[in-house]
Amino acid sequence: MTVLIDLPREAPVVGPGVTLRSLSEEVSNRVLLPNTPRWWWIGFALGMALLLTFVVQLIWLFINGVGIWGINIPVAWGFAIAEYVWWIALASGGTIVSALFFLTRSPWRSATNRIAETMLLSAAPCAGLLPIMHLGRQGLFYWLFPYSSVMGVWPQVRSPLWWDFVCLLCYILMSIMYYYTGLLPDLATVRDLARTRWKQVFYGVLALGWHGSARHWRNQQTVYAVMSAIMAPMVISVHSVVGLDFAGGITPGWHSTQFPPYFFFGAVISGTALIMMLTILVRWGYGLEDVLTGYHLNALAKVMLVGSVMLGYAYVWEAWGPIYGSDVAERTQFFYRIFGFYAACYWGKIVLNIVIPQLLWLPIVRRSEVLLFSISAGIIVGMWLERFVIVIPSLSHGYMPSYWGVFFPTFWDWAALAGTIGLFLSLFFLLLKLVPIVSMSEVREIVAKERSR
Amino acid sequence: MSIAHRDYWRSLEELAESPGFAQLVEREAPRFRDMLGPLDRRNFLRLMAAAMALGGLSDCGPEAEPRQLLPYVEQPPGIVPGQARYYATATTRSGFATGVLIEHRMARPVKVEGNPDHPASLGAASAIMQASILELYDPRRAQTILGQGQIDSWEHLITALFDRREQLLARGGAGLRLLTGAVTSPSLRAQIALLQQQFPAMRWHQWEPLGRGNERIASERMLGRPLDRRFDLDNADIIFAIESDLISNVPGWLAYARQFAAHRRPDETGGKMSRIYAIESTPTLIGAKADHRLALGPADLAAAMRYLAAITGAGPQDWQQTPVADAAWLRAAADDLNQHKGRVLVHAGREQPVEIHLLADAINNALGAFGQTIRLIEPVAPSGSTDQSLEALVGDMTAGRVDTLVMLETNPVYDAPADLDFTAALNRVPLSVSLALYADETAMASTWLVPATQEYEAWGDARAFDGTITIQQPQVRRLYNGHSPHELLAVLHGNTLPIDYQLVRDFWQNETHQRGIGDFDRFWHEALRIGIVENSAAPTVTATPNASALTSLQAAEKPVPGVQLLFREDPLVGGGRDVNNPWLLETPRPFTRLTWDNAALIAPATAKRLGLGIGDVLEIADHGRKVRAPVFVLPGQAADCITLPLGFGHTAGGLGADIGFDAYRLRTSAAPWITRGATLSRTGETYRLATVQGHDRVAGRDLVREGTLTEYQDNPDFLRRPETDQSLYPEYKYPRYAWAMAIDLNSCIGCQSCVVACQAENNIPTVGKDMVLQERIMHWLRIDRYYHGPVDNPAVAFEPVPCMHCEQAPCEVVCPVHATVHDHDGLNLMVYNRCIGTRFCSNNCPYKVRRFNYFGFAERDDRPPESWNPEVTVRNRGVMEKCTYCIQRIRHAEIEADKQDRLVPDGAIQTACQQSCPTQAIIFGNRNDRDSGVARRKASLLDYTLLDELNTRPRTSYAALIRNPNPKIGDREA
Repeated sequence: MTVLIDLPREAPVVGPGVTLRSLSEEVSNRVLLPNTPRWWWIGFALGMALLLTFVVQLIWLFINGVGIWGINIPVAWGFAIAEYVWWIALASGGTIVSALFFLTRSPWRSATNRIAETMLLSAAPCAGLLPIMHLGRQGLFYWLFPYSSVMGVWPQVRSPLWWDFVCLLCYILMSIMYYYTGLLPDLATVRDLARTRWKQVFYGVLALGWHGSARHWRNQQTVYAVMSAIMAPMVISVHSVVGLDFAGGITPGWHSTQFPPYFFFGAVISGTALIMMLTILVRWGYGLEDVLTGYHLNALAKVMLVGSVMLGYAYVWEAWGPIYGSDVAERTQFFYRIFGFYAACYWGKIVLNIVIPQLLWLPIVRRSEVLLFSISAGIIVGMWLERFVIVIPSLSHGYMPSYWGVFFPTFWDWAALAGTIGLFLSLFFLLLKLVPIVSMSEVREIVAKERSR
Repeated sequence: MSIAHRDYWRSLEELAESPGFAQLVEREAPRFRDMLGPLDRRNFLRLMAAAMALGGLSDCGPEAEPRQLLPYVEQPPGIVPGQARYYATATTRSGFATGVLIEHRMARPVKVEGNPDHPASLGAASAIMQASILELYDPRRAQTILGQGQIDSWEHLITALFDRREQLLARGGAGLRLLTGAVTSPSLRAQIALLQQQFPAMRWHQWEPLGRGNERIASERMLGRPLDRRFDLDNADIIFAIESDLISNVPGWLAYARQFAAHRRPDETGGKMSRIYAIESTPTLIGAKADHRLALGPADLAAAMRYLAAITGAGPQDWQQTPVADAAWLRAAADDLNQHKGRVLVHAGREQPVEIHLLADAINNALGAFGQTIRLIEPVAPSGSTDQSLEALVGDMTAGRVDTLVMLETNPVYDAPADLDFTAALNRVPLSVSLALYADETAMASTWLVPATQEYEAWGDARAFDGTITIQQPQVRRLYNGHSPHELLAVLHGNTLPIDYQLVRDFWQNETHQRGIGDFDRFWHEALRIGIVENSAAPTVTATPNASALTSLQAAEKPVPGVQLLFREDPLVGGGRDVNNPWLLETPRPFTRLTWDNAALIAPATAKRLGLGIGDVLEIADHGRKVRAPVFVLPGQAADCITLPLGFGHTAGGLGADIGFDAYRLRTSAAPWITRGATLSRTGETYRLATVQGHDRVAGRDLVREGTLTEYQDNPDFLRRPETDQSLYPEYKYPRYAWAMAIDLNSCIGCQSCVVACQAENNIPTVGKDMVLQERIMHWLRIDRYYHGPVDNPAVAFEPVPCMHCEQAPCEVVCPVHATVHDHDGLNLMVYNRCIGTRFCSNNCPYKVRRFNYFGFAERDDRPPESWNPEVTVRNRGVMEKCTYCIQRIRHAEIEADKQDRLVPDGAIQTACQQSCPTQAIIFGNRNDRDSGVARRKASLLDYTLLDELNTRPRTSYAALIRNPNPKIGDREA
């Protein structure tokens, strides 16, 4: 890993040595060649080990119920919900990079969008499972579906949880389709380059008979553009609705109109941070320095910086409301948040999400992979703390002082966290092995443009 | 071959007589052990043959009593499925009876209610009374007779006692001793009297660890003889309470609490209110309700009482010269008392020394309280002379003068004064029989343990605080082979087949005959039906108070340097009598909000000085005896006084064994309530105490509205806030019923009766200490306790919080599956079957009244299935639950009313909390009915709702707390 990336003022989007052929081979070979690098095995093994924790945790959870966690009354929501929001924000970040910047035609997006989408697809199941795990009676989660039950009971459409359920379902389904649509030309490339029979069949079936005709390209491009146009506002709405889970309650610390944009800002910064980490990993692991260049890292770092500033704005806002407002409960709640039992979490999130990312103003920081990786990791932790601070201290200091209480995570709370990380890593590494991690078709366009210049 | 054959038989015999086999029989079929006897081959074959023959007659038990199974085609008479039946009886503590009605469903007792006809209950039921139903079913009760620690039989016991009886008869009963608690039962007293006739040299000792001996001694000195008092609080404009248990423990306190509260509601009494002064070393319920309170250590308290006696003219004037702290306060209080002559009551708690009781009585006398607010009656539970004390008994036992000791439901090994060493004395008694509900310390140290019947299993009788007699009838067939005290005494009389019914009934037949009541059957049925023997209250007697009784007082004691220990009864487990009851253990104590433990209560200033915090473990030593106890810092506790709640730290018995620490180990016969000095040392350990309240103060919220009587008289709606109740939506109409609740903070004394009543009615499981620590307690109704003012002597407010049944309920809109919804009467319903457990409803409940089954708490609850209330669903794991306003009672009344084609009349529905409340602080009914009690309460200008700024429009509302301070004292915290 080079410590400092060469980043001239007008850095090229792709390295000088990249040709159309070398691009295709370099990317496809990662999927096709039998020799798997050792770091992949390490990452995958770590993922699987944590996944095993997840399975054990799930079995214990289904046997004993959510009482194995540290949740109580008043803090009836704990890690499961905080982590659900955390994962959904990470997933949303992927969509934002992929769809929003597709619409703005940002050239750096082409090489990173596959990483972003793979990340989204790996994070979304974690986000999807947690709310079900957190139910008192998990087996009955399907009662959220609006089906015609014999009792004539329908879901309660006024509940933010139901909006959330609908949004999440649409979002995950939409994300899979969006991913697949963008992947089609690349699957065809892999199919064409594949040497073994079963790989040809596997990718051939997945490629749906793509043969690169003009009509195929036109249809694919149209659908992809339309889906992007849907996905971009959708991800904003999905994350806003997650924010409404809290804003829709009257609990002090939750009952605020700022939550939808606040959560969106959080998604931008946390999603970008994870993409940054994964991009650096892929770039280093696969030796794709020519395709994933300093230009990309620089662009991602700037998005992170913008995200951090926006989030800082939201934090100021979060403080301003209770301090300026007249609601005693809100104010007590806020002061509890910053000085109370969980104050370390609050200040941790400020440092990790706002203070440290300001280093990104310095170009030299944006050129250091080590620093970028560390800052990003800090942001991921900081965002986890932010979700924790939103969910838990708010519940712990509600309206009734007589029912103030605290939440301590148990072993199984941590096991659930480790387990979802395992699920994410397992999925991500699996996809890393199965699909081209850089969108060849889109980078080819860039290469072609660079050539013609 | 033949040798092998013989060996075969021999080894089977050996097997049958081996200790292992005997243990197996004991474990699997304890009742058959004695049938085995010495097992030789013949007996073995005989038994085998009998087993074969009886195999087909499996329901023919050893009892003579016929048993029948009745098919429902011929329904048992009087039992209608779904209809409750009530049977009157009484429950006793320290001998004193409180009348109860036991609710039966399908012939099973499921719930205890107060008997409205009984003077000690008036329909209310304390937490301990409510919890007694669980004691009845407790599977941890003693179930088998133990002789020398081995499982034995009633027949063997009778044989043993008869053998001893022959010897005793020969020597006139010398060496025979009977030890009981306070006995009010006329029939039991008659049996004891008969026993004393048979055995003239026998002696009967009485031991009540938490007795009222000081009060009695003061009575003797002041009135010439020990007399019981009854209080008439209707006549008391001023109550001066000296660590008084008037509304928390004194026999008949439920009735006194009702009288007390009736004079604390200015909105119902036309602006009149009694005034309460309290001086105390440790917080009491009446102190929490007081208009003025001082926290004084024992020495200061005695000085204050002398000062007060001097000013009120009850004591020598020169006592005024002694400087006292708070002299202005005392002078103002004394002036107030002087101005209300004849309408005052000075009441001292039983823990106070004789001196304080004498001073209180002298002031009462000087102010004309006797005959006005205090009526005297002959003692309901006369205690014997000093040679009938426990000390005398232990002396005789140690001297070897006792060879037969019969103990009836008393546990001196646990609760006798530590200096007596009862255990060592007991070991010197060759034959000791302990009749006990649990295999407690005394029972395990005695040669015989006889399981006692729970009060709802046997016939008996008992007297209330005013002398009223209740004949107790069993509510259920004996569950665990218990025997009643009557039966055990009858064995000593020579009766081999004692039957409690016969014994009690024969006594009353004889008694009615003597009283000249002709129709015994009518008397008997009527007494059982209404739960009291009519006109049995003790008549008022007169005694001339001895105005010079104070002259016998010694000079005031000097204050003790260092800390003093105060031994006090835990408010919920009696002196240890009720420590095995999970409901009572899990009910938060009114002040500490502590569950599942006791703790050394210490004043904030003292804790600060000693550097102690909540949970620090102290070693408390006094006269070489040591106890380790966790500290709880209690606002309102007097400085340098450590209160040690008695009743915990058992080493044997049921659930209560090994819970908390045993303060009896420091308690001596010389200083049963207050020690003079003790040494403390920190152990450096900490202990987790399970308290349920997160924060002690209202934190700037408008949760407890409070004002003074003067403010109220000047402007009755001074506590009203501007109306915030606005909605964009049209109002939902509730044309038929609008169920609502009103809670009067002036009446609520924080006794926790409603909490346990709710638990009993609504099948609320207990969760255990670990779960309480995890804040998963399940009580649907809680009594929040808030402090305001200085931490050394804060004002206290008790606030019961059930579900508010908000008309615009925040919980309902956030549930994604419609599991909590509103009904047409405005009830906020919880549909357990629909709940999937998102818990958003709880997060969104500003009042935090929802409870979640994090585990299958009901399945874990160790109680037989038949003890649950069949009217109420037992909830699953993963389901939210909360107060329903006792919807089962509402629906029942609605159906009954519909059948008669009319509306439910006011008062036809009482929620469980309302029914048990001694002060009628809670009232429930139809708000639409303008004449209903609840509508009248809600029309009061003191009525307010919690967090009304949230516009949830609660159906539960509160009457603001009004205090009646003496204007001369000014600031309450003076």
